[in-house]
Amino acid sequence: MLDYTFKTHAQSETTGFGRFVAPFLAVQSVITLSGDLGAGKTTFASGVATGLGIHDHVISPTFNIMKCYFNAKTPLFHIDAYRLEGGNKDLGLEEFIEGNGITLIEWPEYIDTLIPANALHIVIHNLGGDEREIKVSTTNSAFEKMFKNMKERYQ
Amino acid sequence: MITILVDSSFRDLAVGIANNDKIIDQISYEAWQKQSELLIPELDNLLKRNRIERSDISSVMVSYGPGSYTGVRIALTVAKVMAFALDIPLYAVSSLQALKVGEKPTIVLINARSERSYIGVYQGATVVVKDTIMTNNEAKQYIAAHPDYVISGDTDYLGIEAVKVNPLAEMFSLKQHISPVKDKLGLTPVYLKE
Repeated sequence: MLDYTFKTHAQSETTGFGRFVAPFLAVQSVITLSGDLGAGKTTFASGVATGLGIHDHVISPTFNIMKCYFNAKTPLFHIDAYRLEGGNKDLGLEEFIEGNGITLIEWPEYIDTLIPANALHIVIHNLGGDEREIKVSTTNSAFEKMFKNMKERYQ
Repeated sequence: MITILVDSSFRDLAVGIANNDKIIDQISYEAWQKQSELLIPELDNLLKRNRIERSDISSVMVSYGPGSYTGVRIALTVAKVMAFALDIPLYAVSSLQALKVGEKPTIVLINARSERSYIGVYQGATVVVKDTIMTNNEAKQYIAAHPDYVISGDTDYLGIEAVKVNPLAEMFSLKQHISPVKDKLGLTPVYLKE
């Protein structure tokens, strides 16, 4: 189990962390994003998109459930499962999660059966103001190098 | 007697035109996640290059799943709307049966994801095992227990080689064996996942 927690002190640092993570992602990488409304999940997602070379404006797909960004070497699928709570999970989302891109999933607990065991989990806590605590964990050893670099960079 | 044939139940998009009992023209290619953009233009092209008017079309045939969540719905929606708007019969078959290998006993498999397979067993128009969903291990065991059956479908994910078929031709061969759908607008996709 890889596990690390650190703090950021500005919105730009949360975006920056997204950009930092991006190069460690590959086809079928899945990141779950947890945290209260306004914690910075979409802010992080926009950083990942930038890091993947996507220059579209990233907004929360709460109402669309999923937004796809195809203008990149590896497509990015951004899912927000908030509106799927207790509802029908059969929307074919697994075809994207197990598809040809990278998937970010907000509110993963509402589609828990679709989350692969090797996902990278990120939990963002709002500590007040612009301060955030970011917890990163995974059982996927492919992220070892990322954790090593992360521990050096974020202290 | 023009029949329009449509299948986008998995990775490919296939659209064809049959006149009486013969397919006279068709297109088929990989179109993953692009089927919704391409189906109507391809159908339009086919009709134009064969000089077929909408009023010449006398029936529509489509596969209703199981398969790709979106893909199944795209072909089904287009086929239902055509059958409704033109007031013509709609024929529908299993998308697994549309991958049978002629009259040979065939195990048809499609990746259902999350380590599962859609599986159906067919011999021509006869259903040997009704479409169902199995774990990939169960599917492999079934295949091992039936070495005399041919394998068809999209089986790369199982590391098994499959016989390639023309789904529209296989689908069209079933038309004489089935009746048109009674409640055209009530036809729903078969998804098999709970």
